[in-house]
Amino acid sequence: MNDAMNELYQDVVLEHKRAPRNFGHLAAPTHQAQGTNPSCGDRIAVELQLQGDKVQDIRFSGQGCAICMASTSMMTEAVKGQDIAAAQALQQHFRAVLTGEETPEDAPLGKLISLAGVRQYPSRIKCALLGWHALMHAIAQHGAAGGDGAVQAAAHDGATLQTTEAP
Amino acid sequence: MEALRADFPILTQSINGHPLAYLDNAATTQVPRQVLEAMREFEECERANIHRGVHSLSQRATDAYDAARATLKAFIGATGEHELIFTSGTTEALNTVAQGLWAAGPAEAWLRAGDRIIVSGLEHHANLVPWQNAARMSGAELVILTPDAEGRLHEAGLATLLAQGGARVFAVTACANATGERPPYEALLTLAKQAGALTVLDAAQVAGHAIPNMAALDCDFLAFSGHKMHGPMGTGALVGRREALEQLYPLRLGGDMVEDVSYERAIHAGLPMRLEGGTPNVAGAVGLAAAARFIDGTGRAPIDAHLHALREQAAAGLASLPGVRVLSRASSAAALVSFTCEGVHPHDIGTLLDQAGIAVRTGYHCAQPLLDHLGVGPTTRASFALYNTADEVERLIAATARALELLR
Repeated sequence: MNDAMNELYQDVVLEHKRAPRNFGHLAAPTHQAQGTNPSCGDRIAVELQLQGDKVQDIRFSGQGCAICMASTSMMTEAVKGQDIAAAQALQQHFRAVLTGEETPEDAPLGKLISLAGVRQYPSRIKCALLGWHALMHAIAQHGAAGGDGAVQAAAHDGATLQTTEAP
Repeated sequence: MEALRADFPILTQSINGHPLAYLDNAATTQVPRQVLEAMREFEECERANIHRGVHSLSQRATDAYDAARATLKAFIGATGEHELIFTSGTTEALNTVAQGLWAAGPAEAWLRAGDRIIVSGLEHHANLVPWQNAARMSGAELVILTPDAEGRLHEAGLATLLAQGGARVFAVTACANATGERPPYEALLTLAKQAGALTVLDAAQVAGHAIPNMAALDCDFLAFSGHKMHGPMGTGALVGRREALEQLYPLRLGGDMVEDVSYERAIHAGLPMRLEGGTPNVAGAVGLAAAARFIDGTGRAPIDAHLHALREQAAAGLASLPGVRVLSRASSAAALVSFTCEGVHPHDIGTLLDQAGIAVRTGYHCAQPLLDHLGVGPTTRASFALYNTADEVERLIAATARALELLR
């Protein structure tokens, strides 16, 4: 059990699971999307306040495992205040690390590096990416940027996406 | 126990530095040497296509296939009024029934517009989704016999549904794979039969230790899988009363299921070949029969008693952990224990148990509607087979306790 503790359940991951950041709802989201994992029923909804190309504010809601909740929590911290292109680039680096296409040392992941251990557990990669799929799909509603890529990545990782129009 | 475990070479390995405790038997059981040897013997000495050749090997393969059918019919308690159809497993068997009951078309099929199909709310997707489709295709109405808050089915609930009339099919499981609930299926089948419905029993979850006796049940169709009774994967059977099987329109049309064919039309062969179109998995059938002999050789009653003891030990130990809820706690006939842990997700528990060499299943167990109905969401499920030990159950309880400590 020590290996999984060290690689997967680092203190920072468990801390985010226990107290997820930016959890809840925005008063008036401009964009939102939901990701679900049909094998376990996990469901993460992401709400965005986009201003131009910038993620002015972000919240998420739903339920998932420790990996899913921590990954989504850290994701919201990382993309809040960033522009869309930076969020997409970060998602691509994060996904590439988890799928072994990029080494953790070469990826500009910041705190998200604490989830790099997930790459040793292929069955858990979809847990770590669920909130990101929702983010990418919410962003995809913003013009044509990134839409197809997000949907294909979701299908590949075994998650499904449902989107709802912003009110 | 040591001698019995020695028949399963896969159990001797280590996983993540610990001896493997394989507790995912409700998903798939392991295969003993006896089954592997029977299949190898067939492939090395008898392999040929059946029913087609006049040469010796073809005759021996045909004999092996027929003998496997006879062995399995005896295993399930089939009488002269029953027939056994080989399938790829429970899912194919249940689809063969559900689709076969409407595929003959509105003029001849058993299911028609306005009929009612009653399915228990304990079912996994393979005994629900085919009926959803059958209802859609035939115009029949799908009705769910919902369990109570504890996940139990009641005869009175079925009687109420049957009293509304029009029930043509009733489908139920012998044991819910998501909770371990063992419904009173004998009484439920009898009630449905008396109301004129065709009755369907999914026996996949009990085939390895408590297979029902077909002769003693008001059961028209019974399905089970080879891979959940120590047989090969991709094998299984549909057992049915002959007149019920005759109601099924064949879904696999082609070789070996026809009696006479012209360019314009085909006359279907009789049972069982009518429902076994194409070259069957003969080695699989031979292996499945060997698995049935292995179970009977070990003894069904001792296996059943052993599994119930392991389940009770696991259920009691897990329920004593803080925040742990054992589903269907009172279901003493179950061979599996399904549980939730307050504030901790099953996937995280499953990963940490795997690190301790313990294989369990986590998630919805292909029974999302039931777990949604019970309001519990995904669960962790440990399931037992004849080779599991009390020591493995203790490891499960201890490792779960450690996982909860870490994750909370």
